[in-house]
Amino acid sequence: MKDNKLANHVIAAEGRLPWYRSDGQNCDCYIVGIAGGSASGKTSVAQRIIKNLNVPWVVLLSMDSFYKDLTPEEVEIAHRNDWDFDSPNSYDYDLLLETITKLKQGRTVDVPIYDFETHKRVPNKHNTVYGANVIIFEGIFGLYDKKVLEMMDLKVFVDTDTDICLARRIKRDVAERGFDVAGVLKLYQRFVKPSYDNYVYPTKRNADVVIPRGLENLVAIDLLTKHIQRQLQERKMQSRWDMARMSAPEELPSNVIVLEKTKQLMGMHTIIRDINTSRHDFIFYADRLATLVIERALDELPYEARTVQTPTSQTVHGLGQKVNVGGVSILRAGGTMEIGLRRVIRDAVIGKILIQTDPSNGEPQLHYCKLPPSLREDNTYIFLMDAVIGTGAAGLMAIRVLLDHDVPEDRIIFLSFLAGPHGLHTIARAFPRVKIVTSYIDSVLNAHTLFLEPGLGNFGDRYFGTENE
Amino acid sequence: MAYQPPKQVILLPQTQQLKACTTIIRDKNTQRADFIFYSDRIIRILVEEGLNHLPVVEKTVVTPTGREFQGIDFQGRICGVSIMRAGESMEQGLREVCRSVRIGKILIQRDEETALPKLYYAKFPPDIASRYCLLLDPMLATGGSAIKAIETLLDYGVAEERILFLNLISCPEGIAAVVAKFPLMKIVTAEIDAGLDEKLYINPGLGDFGCRYFGTDK
Repeated sequence: MKDNKLANHVIAAEGRLPWYRSDGQNCDCYIVGIAGGSASGKTSVAQRIIKNLNVPWVVLLSMDSFYKDLTPEEVEIAHRNDWDFDSPNSYDYDLLLETITKLKQGRTVDVPIYDFETHKRVPNKHNTVYGANVIIFEGIFGLYDKKVLEMMDLKVFVDTDTDICLARRIKRDVAERGFDVAGVLKLYQRFVKPSYDNYVYPTKRNADVVIPRGLENLVAIDLLTKHIQRQLQERKMQSRWDMARMSAPEELPSNVIVLEKTKQLMGMHTIIRDINTSRHDFIFYADRLATLVIERALDELPYEARTVQTPTSQTVHGLGQKVNVGGVSILRAGGTMEIGLRRVIRDAVIGKILIQTDPSNGEPQLHYCKLPPSLREDNTYIFLMDAVIGTGAAGLMAIRVLLDHDVPEDRIIFLSFLAGPHGLHTIARAFPRVKIVTSYIDSVLNAHTLFLEPGLGNFGDRYFGTENE
Repeated sequence: MAYQPPKQVILLPQTQQLKACTTIIRDKNTQRADFIFYSDRIIRILVEEGLNHLPVVEKTVVTPTGREFQGIDFQGRICGVSIMRAGESMEQGLREVCRSVRIGKILIQRDEETALPKLYYAKFPPDIASRYCLLLDPMLATGGSAIKAIETLLDYGVAEERILFLNLISCPEGIAAVVAKFPLMKIVTAEIDAGLDEKLYINPGLGDFGCRYFGTDK
């Protein structure tokens, strides 16, 4: 039990590269389990590994978060320092297994926050953890539960001399927790030491690697880091460029809906595509077009019969929308559809996903995602918005993010101003139940610039006025 | 549906979400804020559809990728004409689609003596005769005031075939009356109701549109 500000938060120093295959399925993320005695230096070793790895999107998961809630009687015992927190029975292994399983699958999880004052989980609060490529899990019983062990790719036991552990524990508890030495020793003799000898130390045989002397053992930590790096390297994937090179059939997938080519639609496209169009006009017509795309997408929702009375007391058998709609924009350019969305659904909840393309290799990178919890509700459909579906790489990533957040595939409708067959097929192959609504198809994807042609250039730049003059 | 509207009538595609919008504005329990919002949504679709019936020419533009796009350009200028008061409720929707469009106004009231619609006021852009006119009135019931308004436009030199009459809810009687008199113009409507009741209100209709939109109902 110690304060650890790093625990249970994804450390993301830079964008996250694709963590899924081109078929949209997640690759399992890499899990390192670290166990060892109390004050053996598990957390320090974990932090050193994270620092050495120097890869973004790593989460340090602390087993302390999975203590069981104590009953009022047990809390009283705990307050007298008579409760055995060092027993393997103090942890909720079911929740731990569920959490690690979901994390390994790349899904979002809510990690409980344990309050050591009340010895209960803080109600209605949790740390949401999403987007880890590497999970480092640490706790004294980190290598104890069989099913949890099976989830791990690498199991580490930190084997620090028990005298040193005790000395550290005294120092820490006296300085940080206001204990006196006698109190620390009492707990140590009654609970810590017997538990270590009987339960913790034996888990050493479950480890792949044992690190003697803990954090001091730089050579061992260095070797471990190199091993993990090698493993991660093997899993790395290249997606976007391959997508551009793959040939796509002219015929569009069946889940794609293209707006009817009315005169107005053609007129608006003529304006937004014209290189000489002012930004003033570009924005106006983009907003108008977005509204039409949103209206079209609304027709894909389920409706139910609804009977109402008019002010003249006539009965009308009409329709009512059966579900809610939440928007999710793929930033930056997808944000341009929000005005259209709000024109049609005034109070739509809007989530944001920032995906940027690495200019050096064309790979999409996830930088940020903030999704309101209501998007996961049963009766909610998601309008995922992007300006242009070119290679489909950003869309694929965004849909993967939504699925990782437990949004069912058939409740996602992906909207865009413009799309090309490449991207549409890429997305449809991976996620055939996602409907795609777009206002126009341009069939040429320039393999060099990754722009659609004739296209309209960089939509976000033109809308937000950030293009080079 | 047994009723087949004449060819001058352009009925919006009867999509589910359009039906859901009209259900909301017909409901007497709908709050004014919602009434306005969903009316505006329907009006915007009406205007978008109405504009599709204006003439165009082909136009090729160059995109920022350096390629050509074969597009179109609209021919002729337009103006809106709202029949006061209810027709003014459609101006917001019109402006969302046609930013700085000119808007003329017509006030027509029932003459107390003759019980016929009478023109009280008309103010149009000076060059209205050369423009396409989007005539705005949310309800087409008997067609009395619409006919008066169209006559006025014709007096100002607007060509009949350049008039598009936009309304949210119409009925066969009103359509028949207007089409009989002005067969060259077009009517764009969101829904066609069963008919008129004995008080000449559209049945089922939605009550007094202007009162509900502007909040002057009790």
